[in-house]
Amino acid sequence: MLGFWRSSYSLFLLISLVPYVSAGHSFENTAIVRTVELGGSVVHVTTTYAVKALEDDSKIYTIALGEREHDSTSWLVAKIKGESTPLSVEERESNGNGPQLYDIKLPSPLMSGRTTNIVVETAQTHVTYPYPEEASQKDGQSLKYEADLLVLSPYDTAVQRTKIRSPFPQIHSYTEPEVEYTQDAPVTKSGATLTYGPYKNVPGSANARFAAEKQQRIAVHFSYDQPVLEITKLERAAEVSHWGANLNIQDNIHLRNAGPRLKGHFSRLEQQSQAFFQKPAPHMLPGLTLLLPAGIHDVYFYDIVGNVSTSKLRTAPSVPKGSQSNQFSVLELKPRYPLMGGWNYSFTLGWDSPLADSAGWDRERGKWVVGVPIMTTIPGTVVNEEELKIILPEGATNIEFFEPFPAIETELSTHITYLDTTGRPTLTFSYKNLTDKHSGIIYVAYNVPFSAHLKKPIAVATALMGLFVLAFVWKRVDTRIQKQK
Amino acid sequence: MADYDAIASLHKAIPPFSPSIPVALLPYIAFLLLTATFALAFYFSTLPKSALPIREFAVASTASILGGFGVVALFNSAGVYL
Repeated sequence: MLGFWRSSYSLFLLISLVPYVSAGHSFENTAIVRTVELGGSVVHVTTTYAVKALEDDSKIYTIALGEREHDSTSWLVAKIKGESTPLSVEERESNGNGPQLYDIKLPSPLMSGRTTNIVVETAQTHVTYPYPEEASQKDGQSLKYEADLLVLSPYDTAVQRTKIRSPFPQIHSYTEPEVEYTQDAPVTKSGATLTYGPYKNVPGSANARFAAEKQQRIAVHFSYDQPVLEITKLERAAEVSHWGANLNIQDNIHLRNAGPRLKGHFSRLEQQSQAFFQKPAPHMLPGLTLLLPAGIHDVYFYDIVGNVSTSKLRTAPSVPKGSQSNQFSVLELKPRYPLMGGWNYSFTLGWDSPLADSAGWDRERGKWVVGVPIMTTIPGTVVNEEELKIILPEGATNIEFFEPFPAIETELSTHITYLDTTGRPTLTFSYKNLTDKHSGIIYVAYNVPFSAHLKKPIAVATALMGLFVLAFVWKRVDTRIQKQK
Repeated sequence: MADYDAIASLHKAIPPFSPSIPVALLPYIAFLLLTATFALAFYFSTLPKSALPIREFAVASTASILGGFGVVALFNSAGVYL
C-alpha cells in the first residue's frame, strides 16, 4: 500500500521537474548581438543568435524576453540569417512572473556540434518617452529609451553585446552600468552608436532569479528631430459594392503628437517666423504625406468642422490586382493647425477604388475573393487601437477570411446602410499596437447568390408599387365633405 | 500561414471582378429607366377606373420594376456605390 504511494510520489516529483528540463540544454550561444534602432513611437530590435547544437537532432530553439520587453513587443519574427522565409514561433504558456519564452522551430534539425544563425526581429511600441516632458515652441525635442542591459537566454552564452543606434547624432547621456561579465569598459560610444558589451560567459538567464539579481536597466537620452506620432484610434471601414464595382475605404484617424507637451502658449508669430526662416521646431507636425493605393478616385478629407481643403493629391493609375507594385497615390495633407506636442487632431479620410483592383472571381468555388489592406502605414508611427470593418454586399454567405496575423477580436455582424433590407454582413477585426511591420492584407471569400443581387431593385420597386397602390385607392375614395346630390 | 499564402496566390491568379452591367453605362441606364418610369407613372394617372384593374396593375408593376432598377443605377452614378 505504502509502496504504491511512494512510487507515485517519485513519479510526481519527476513530472514536476519536466518544465525545467524541457527548456533543453541542447544548445549553446556562441554569440548574441542585439541591435536597437531607436525611433519615436516604434523601436526596432534585431537580435542575432549564433547557436551551436550540443545534442543530436535539436529542433526547437528557445528565446526569452524580459517581462517589460515582452509587454512592449508587438511584432516578432524569426528567420535563419540569409533566408527570407519566417520560422514558426510559439509563445509558451506564461506563469505570470519571470521572462516569457518563445519556441522557434528550426527548418531542419541540427546535429551535435553544428552551428547556425537565427535572426529575431521585433518591433517595440511605447518604449520611449519625451524627456524633458515639456518644451516650448522654440525648444528641441529629446526622448529617453529604457531597456534591459543583458539579453536573456535559457542557454549559456559565450559572448553577447547590445548596439543602440540613434537616428540623430546627438546623444545626451546614457547609463554606465557596473557589469561583472567584462573586464573592459561596459559601454563604448562611437558617433551615434552605443555598444554595451562584449559581455562574456553569461549563464542561462531565462529565469526570475537572474532577472531579479543580475539584470539591470539602462537608459539612453537622445535628441530626436522629427515629430513623434501616434494614432490613438483608427477606425477603418471597407465597403464592397457589386452594383457599382467599387471598393470604398474610409479611415477615421485620431492623430496625436506624442512629443513633449507644449510649454506656454502657441504663438502664431513664432510659427510664421519659423516657417519663413525654414527652421521648424523638431516636435511640430505641419503636415503628413500619405501613400495611398494606386487607382483611387473621389478622395475626401474632412473633420468635425467640415471639408479640409489644405491637401494635395497626385493619383497613380490602377495596377493589376495582387501585384506588389511601388506605385502609390501621394496625398500631402495639412491639418487645420500644426500639431504641437501633446495635441490631437481627428479627421476622416476616404476614397473609392475600382473593385477589379482588389477583388477577383474564383470560378471553381463560385466565390468572390477581396483583399483589403489593414491600414495605410505612416512610417515610424504606432496605431494604438484599430477597428477594421469589412462590409460585404447584402446577402453574402459562406464568408471565410484569411488574416496575415491574428486579430485580438473578430466579429461578424450586420451593417445597415442605403437601400438595405436585411443588412450587409460585416466582419470586424480589432487590433492593438500596430506598426509599419503590420501592414498586411486580409482576404475575404464570399458567395453572393444572384437573387441577393436583386434585393435592392426589388426593395425600391416594392416601395414604388406601394405608392401606386396608394394612388389606386385614393382614386376610388370619396373625400368630399358634401355628397353630390 | 500556408493557408494564407495559398489564398494570396489564388487572389492574384483569379480573373478580376467585372460587373454584369458596365459601370460607365449606369448613368445612361438610369436616365432611360427613370424617364420610362416617369412616363408610365403619368400614363397610370390618366387611366380610367375599371372593375378589373388589369391595365392599372400592369402599368404600375412595370413602372415599379423599371423604377427600382433606375433608382439603383441612379445611386451608383451619383457616387453612392450600393
